Amino acid sequence: MTNLEQQIRQTMQQVAELSDCQLVDPIDADTLLLECGLDSLGYAMLVAQLEEDLGFDPFTELAIDTYPSTFTELLAIYQQCASSQ
Amino acid sequence: MQSFSNQLANLPTTGVITSAGEHSSIAELIKQAQEIRLQYPQLCQHSIAISYTNLNEFIAALIAFDGWCSAIYVCPPDVSISDEELIKWPLDNAIAVIDSTEEPPKSTASDVTQTTWYLATSGTTGEPKWFSHSFLSLTANTKYSHRLQTLCWALLYQPFRFAGLQVVLQALLSGADLVDVVDYEPLVQMAFLKHGGVTAVSATPSLWRQLLMTGQLSELTLSHITLGGEIADQSLLDKLQRLFPKAKLRHIYASTEAGVGFVVTDGLAGFPAKWLDDCSLSVALKVSDKQHLLIKPSHHLCQTLAQQTDAQGYVDTLDTVKIIDDRVFFLGRSTGTINVGGNKVHPEKVEQVLLQCADISQVKVYAKKSALLGELVVADVTIDGPSIREETNQQEVKQQLLKLCKNQLQRFEIPTKINIVNNISYDPSGKLNRKQHD
Repeated sequence: MTNLEQQIRQTMQQVAELSDCQLVDPIDADTLLLECGLDSLGYAMLVAQLEEDLGFDPFTELAIDTYPSTFTELLAIYQQCASSQ
Repeated sequence: MQSFSNQLANLPTTGVITSAGEHSSIAELIKQAQEIRLQYPQLCQHSIAISYTNLNEFIAALIAFDGWCSAIYVCPPDVSISDEELIKWPLDNAIAVIDSTEEPPKSTASDVTQTTWYLATSGTTGEPKWFSHSFLSLTANTKYSHRLQTLCWALLYQPFRFAGLQVVLQALLSGADLVDVVDYEPLVQMAFLKHGGVTAVSATPSLWRQLLMTGQLSELTLSHITLGGEIADQSLLDKLQRLFPKAKLRHIYASTEAGVGFVVTDGLAGFPAKWLDDCSLSVALKVSDKQHLLIKPSHHLCQTLAQQTDAQGYVDTLDTVKIIDDRVFFLGRSTGTINVGGNKVHPEKVEQVLLQCADISQVKVYAKKSALLGELVVADVTIDGPSIREETNQQEVKQQLLKLCKNQLQRFEIPTKINIVNNISYDPSGKLNRKQHD
């Protein structure tokens, strides 16, 4: 597991605890984001926290063509954005 | 008089509503409305407060009472009205609401009055503010045509709020079908939208992003795409246009306060600057010295807005705008009101809750931009006492604050981030500076 993936997973857990959500276990590469246990507010919090920790927000910095549906796709847009920093 | 029931009765065809998997024709709901008038003739010419139960009963009540009752208050489930003059609908049969010896009107089929509609918007103190409308003002942009009649609309907004009511009225008065998916999670909503053959969707930008996150939006055949309730950004407009290149893409500016606003159809964020001071439009627009958008609808304005209205009849929308080249862009609310995915949050209300914590001396609640939900709620707090610099104490205070918020606020109102800071700055007038943080 890369550091970035680990960081995203840890932040998801933090956000879930803050907002009284229960994450599904396990979250695999193909787990749908909308079935992970976080709702839209949870994802907005995740992206905001990651922006604070990583210094970038791929949802504003990349004109992403497709919104991520799975955990792998979410990780991929963060990896793509990290490599262009 | 062009009431709801009259207009529906004059349509060549009417559609079908699907809610929780059940289908009901509008014709059936018109019949139910007629039965309500027959069964409760004593309600005629009285003011009525409709509490939302389910979509079918709600629509039947609206059809029955517009043109029949003097006023309709559309009550969200969490709002109660204490006015004893108002009759609550559905009726509590145990209570004799009105003297039934009153002589009933001679005909229940025809309309007898011009009904004033009241819609609630959340106020700063948590108490709702009521704004009046007429059926005419609420339906200024709705029309029937053979093409519109073939559409199937999705209802993603709560129908007792302004935006949801607009979708319901648009669908019904154009003879189209309507699929109610309000109470479901995005993946379930998507399944219902696909199953119902939905072709027209009106939603907030945040809801559209959630639908995009399902990865299934492209499986719909959308011909009408509407965004409203939040600022529509260019990136989202582009994505939707790419996905549905043949669809009519529009974003709506409207407010519960001023009634109908205006529609932008050129696929670009903001609206053309040439619309300012263009008197040929159905609503006149201008920008104030404070960079607020002022709007002057053609219909009569609610009295509640008198203080916000200038001598020429322009209402201050309290929305801040910025003109860049030939375009006017929305920046947010000048009041500091935070828009979390279409839900309004009053920072003062959140601050009052946080200040209940004994360790807190000052607090500032403000918006942080979010690419997913438009804005998020963030709080800065200062803490009393020398021991507070210790990390463990800070964590304890944050836990206390979150607990207070969770007990007293709705989820979207709870700060997504609480920062403990050394001091909070005020502007020279002594007011908090709630300038948005990026």
